[in-house]
Amino acid sequence: MENTYLTKKDVIQINEDTFIVTFNEKFKFDEGQFIMIQTPSLTRKPFILGTWKGNIAVSVQIKGKGTNYIVFQGEKFKAHFPLGNKFIPPAGKGIVISSPTCITLANLLHEKYSCDVLIGSKSKINFELPFESVIGNEDFSKKIKTLKTYDWYLVSGSKQMEEFVLSNIESKNVFVSLEEYMGCGIGACKSCAVFTKEGVKHVCTDGPIFRRDIL
Amino acid sequence: MNLNPPLVIASGPGGSGEYLRLINPKYVGAYTLKTITLNPKPGNKTKRMENLENYIINSIGLENPGIEYVISNIDKFVLKETKTILSLGGDSKDEYIKIAEKIAPHAKKFEAIEFNFSCPNVKKGGLSILSDLNEWQEILENVRKILPDSFLMAKLSIEGNFVEILSRKVKEFGWNGLTLINCVRGLLIKDGKIVTGGLSGPILKPIALRAIYEVRKVLKDIYIIASGGIYTKKDVDDFLLVGTNAISIGSALFKDPQVVEELGKYLKGVKR
Repeated sequence: MENTYLTKKDVIQINEDTFIVTFNEKFKFDEGQFIMIQTPSLTRKPFILGTWKGNIAVSVQIKGKGTNYIVFQGEKFKAHFPLGNKFIPPAGKGIVISSPTCITLANLLHEKYSCDVLIGSKSKINFELPFESVIGNEDFSKKIKTLKTYDWYLVSGSKQMEEFVLSNIESKNVFVSLEEYMGCGIGACKSCAVFTKEGVKHVCTDGPIFRRDIL
Repeated sequence: MNLNPPLVIASGPGGSGEYLRLINPKYVGAYTLKTITLNPKPGNKTKRMENLENYIINSIGLENPGIEYVISNIDKFVLKETKTILSLGGDSKDEYIKIAEKIAPHAKKFEAIEFNFSCPNVKKGGLSILSDLNEWQEILENVRKILPDSFLMAKLSIEGNFVEILSRKVKEFGWNGLTLINCVRGLLIKDGKIVTGGLSGPILKPIALRAIYEVRKVLKDIYIIASGGIYTKKDVDDFLLVGTNAISIGSALFKDPQVVEELGKYLKGVKR
């Protein structure tokens, strides 16, 4: 874990409110880990790390002033990383089911494990994705019900998306990337608690990716 | 207590030393651990934090592993890189006394022991311990006897009574210092729903300044750690001006942990 700076390289719009932001820096991290990025807000914002066109990248959904700052205003950001745990998928063919907010992680896993990727977006996608995508809840639901043969599944998106996948795919190897409000990202503040079958866990230090059987 | 620099990591946001992986300990005079209670607490349900323009509302609920766990793993909780202040809390007079008894054999390992009499986020204990002043004074008296050699700090907020009146009691029972202030009870409306919790961040600064100002007027020789909205050198100057002995960094850690280095360096150069 260390303090660092990020300098913005490119911003690519994915859909109406979500953007890929790439950075000039090269540094090591593991799949599943995240970074806390400073904005004018009082707390840093967590973003799961990934890659895009050979660059380190995060996906940013505009939710308020902090995320707006990262996409449209800031050029250089203080941050600390790498945080959280490495995601090691089981053997076999897997699929990442992701919203645009986790597309850079999906891309990284696709490059490393040759897994399939399905992007489920609420709104129209503005550029040609290298992955299969479905728009809207109805098409997403239909598609998920056809995905029965994979050895592992990673769901990374909204709670609604995660719950739908968990209730429609029976495999024990469904992994979920959880999102809870984080103050610190390093296990100090305890704001990102999740109540699991194994007791209280924290998304920042125990996750952010959890297997379904403990949730 | 002699801290160099006179900068303390606040109980709560600082966890149990995690920030020492991001902060040079040379700029931390002492690190206050997250409050420990007699029994483990799972904490409140999520969402536990909201961040707005100039304040944060949190409702962590004193999540902690309990004093037995701390004693069994005492070497993990006594930080090697800097002085450690232990923070203790309770749900009742008996709990405060029992936890003091349990920590007594280990008390010398800590630079100071801070008792949290002001957590706004638990149903029992914390702030509500001040609802019966006689009982609270019994806590002060008994804890002083149980921990005769410890540098005892009381963490107070502005609720429960006038802080200068409570502070006088702390001094009267032979305690050494005060941490002023804790979060204040706050409420916000989010998507039409009521969210309650402890208010922190820059918005607390004028409240904390006034509290210290009033206490210092009546108590000239008690050690005061200032806590509440300290983010900048100007904040440090202001708190020193009203009679603070050391400043405490809490929610500023969330914005930029390196603020500790900046303010620690500054404090090393300030003539007091």
